Amino acid sequence: MTSLLTSGSPVKSAPEGAKGKRPTAVERFQSQARRRLARADLLGGLAWLSGAASVALWLADGGANGFSSFAGTMTALGIVAGLIGMDIVLLMLLLAARIPFIDNTIGHDRALEVHKTLGKPALYLLLAHGVLLAVGYGAAEGLDPVSESVSLWVNVPDMWLAFVSTALFIAVVVTSLVAVRRKFPYEFWYAIHLLTYAAVGTAIPHQFSVGGLFAEGTWQRWYWLVLCVGTGAALLWFRIWQPIAATFRHQITVSRVVRVSPGVFSIEMTGRNLARLAGSGGRFFFWRFLAPGQWWQPHPFSLSAEPFTGQGNQPGKLRITVRALGKGTADLEHIKPGTRVAIEGPYGMFSTAARTRNKVVMIGAGIGITPLRSLLESTPFQPGDATVLIRGHDETELFLDREIMALCQTRGATLFHLTGPRSQGDHPWLPEDAVRAGFGLHSYVQNITDADVYVCGPAPWAASVIRDVQSAGVPTEQLHYERFDW
Amino acid sequence: MRIRAALATAVASAGVLLAGWQSGAHIAETGTATTTSLSSTASSGNTGSTGNSGTTGKSGTSSGGGNTGSTTAATYDGTQVQTRFGTVQVRVTIQDGKITEVTPLQLTDAERKSAQISSRAAPILRSEVLQAQSANVQTVGGATVTSDAYLTSLQAALDAANF
Repeated sequence: MTSLLTSGSPVKSAPEGAKGKRPTAVERFQSQARRRLARADLLGGLAWLSGAASVALWLADGGANGFSSFAGTMTALGIVAGLIGMDIVLLMLLLAARIPFIDNTIGHDRALEVHKTLGKPALYLLLAHGVLLAVGYGAAEGLDPVSESVSLWVNVPDMWLAFVSTALFIAVVVTSLVAVRRKFPYEFWYAIHLLTYAAVGTAIPHQFSVGGLFAEGTWQRWYWLVLCVGTGAALLWFRIWQPIAATFRHQITVSRVVRVSPGVFSIEMTGRNLARLAGSGGRFFFWRFLAPGQWWQPHPFSLSAEPFTGQGNQPGKLRITVRALGKGTADLEHIKPGTRVAIEGPYGMFSTAARTRNKVVMIGAGIGITPLRSLLESTPFQPGDATVLIRGHDETELFLDREIMALCQTRGATLFHLTGPRSQGDHPWLPEDAVRAGFGLHSYVQNITDADVYVCGPAPWAASVIRDVQSAGVPTEQLHYERFDW
Repeated sequence: MRIRAALATAVASAGVLLAGWQSGAHIAETGTATTTSLSSTASSGNTGSTGNSGTTGKSGTSSGGGNTGSTTAATYDGTQVQTRFGTVQVRVTIQDGKITEVTPLQLTDAERKSAQISSRAAPILRSEVLQAQSANVQTVGGATVTSDAYLTSLQAALDAANF
């Protein structure tokens, strides 16, 4: 069933004629969008440049000279593969380091998407590195690649570590592919990923001791050292130190748990200095409830309401809305008030920070509706410039629908409830009866090409929304998507 | 990424690669020159695969080191040992039945910077050998390949000298 709940004209009414008189079409987010695009270009450029630089290191060392013989060619290709492979591994670590500059530019989800797409190329390059060098060195000494590998393992210091590292890299990439496909628990995947640090750690010594390129006294050694140490420092600072500091600074404590509908509940928390936390664009955190059986498990949730920053000594308030999907999240319903909460965040771009246009469209499904609730509360728009589409199997799955309706009424946003069995056709994000009635994206939103589109919901559903939004002609930079399938 | 930014990146990357290649080409030339001069020295020393002694001392004919008491010094070239980092060959000087000097004729330099490794390892090996008076000394950490080749070549030279 599709129903229009509020119309574009707000309760306090802005007559249609008023639209024409508005200071015409000044896109207030234009400069923000332009800056962000420039930052994204800069990051992309730096990433490519780092790859070129790692090859240049080797060229500057007279590497191009090695192509005269078969052995030399194999060795040269092997070295280049290793250099680019390691460069990609470092980029992957930087993308996963939650560095604010990257997070404010492409967002947490996009960063992890790029991180994921780099995984396989990095592995292939590192494997090629090993195989090509075994062949190349072997040919130079008249050994077959296997005996050469054995001789490298036995005779060359730090090389056994490099072999261990290769095995770990294979383990990490293969298991994370399998884990994603089979939907292993998040913790399993997380534990596997910790192995990555061991894989990188064991790969580093041989680069400096065996590789002639980074021998003592070369400037290449310094470049590589700075790259490795910088990446490690970024990880320590942003993934370990900053969360600890934020946890102590904000002193977040559970105040109560409110049931929203069966299996869905809101956790309300109090905290200090929340203005600082609210000021940054992100609304997504990892929450760790410091209670027995819970403390080791970080839960990724977005805020389902804007932080209430509090006045003076009064503590501020935060709220998340959780759907019990696994045992870990189900137990959260019984979390005791007074439980301390460790946070990592805020991250992400699912906020005003991503806006590029005056008009805004929000499309959410299931528990993915809740971050939209927070966005709807805070993001600036003129009455009539916002459209909200929320999708659920039935009315009980339109979580926080009453709050959302109230916000739409006071702020002048158009709200649609989309309920009923999903369509089996080309638009599976819509209910079957809506598609039968001939409704499509265009029926709900006019001029969508001129709006920011925020999409939040389960991955397959969101993919279908994004397909329709893109075929409607919305440019990528106006499309904002947050995964919600943890 | 926008087209302009992509182009800028491509140009910058090409620039970085070109700069690297330019400075690399320079290094490569000098590298080749060194190798040539080293190998010409080696060939004048009559190097066979078994490491025949190319004698340059006063008593070139007395190849035995057992002739003690005399003040003659004899030099012997070791075998050329191939490693993945290049060829290694040393020359040993024996006087009064003692190893008095070990000179590297060729050291690993295949990857340019392995020359740096070997130039660090060579003096250490030399002093160890002079002290131990044999090729049975420890390899230098971080320069295992070079050390092994160095000592193998040295052993061949000592064998040739019946030391």
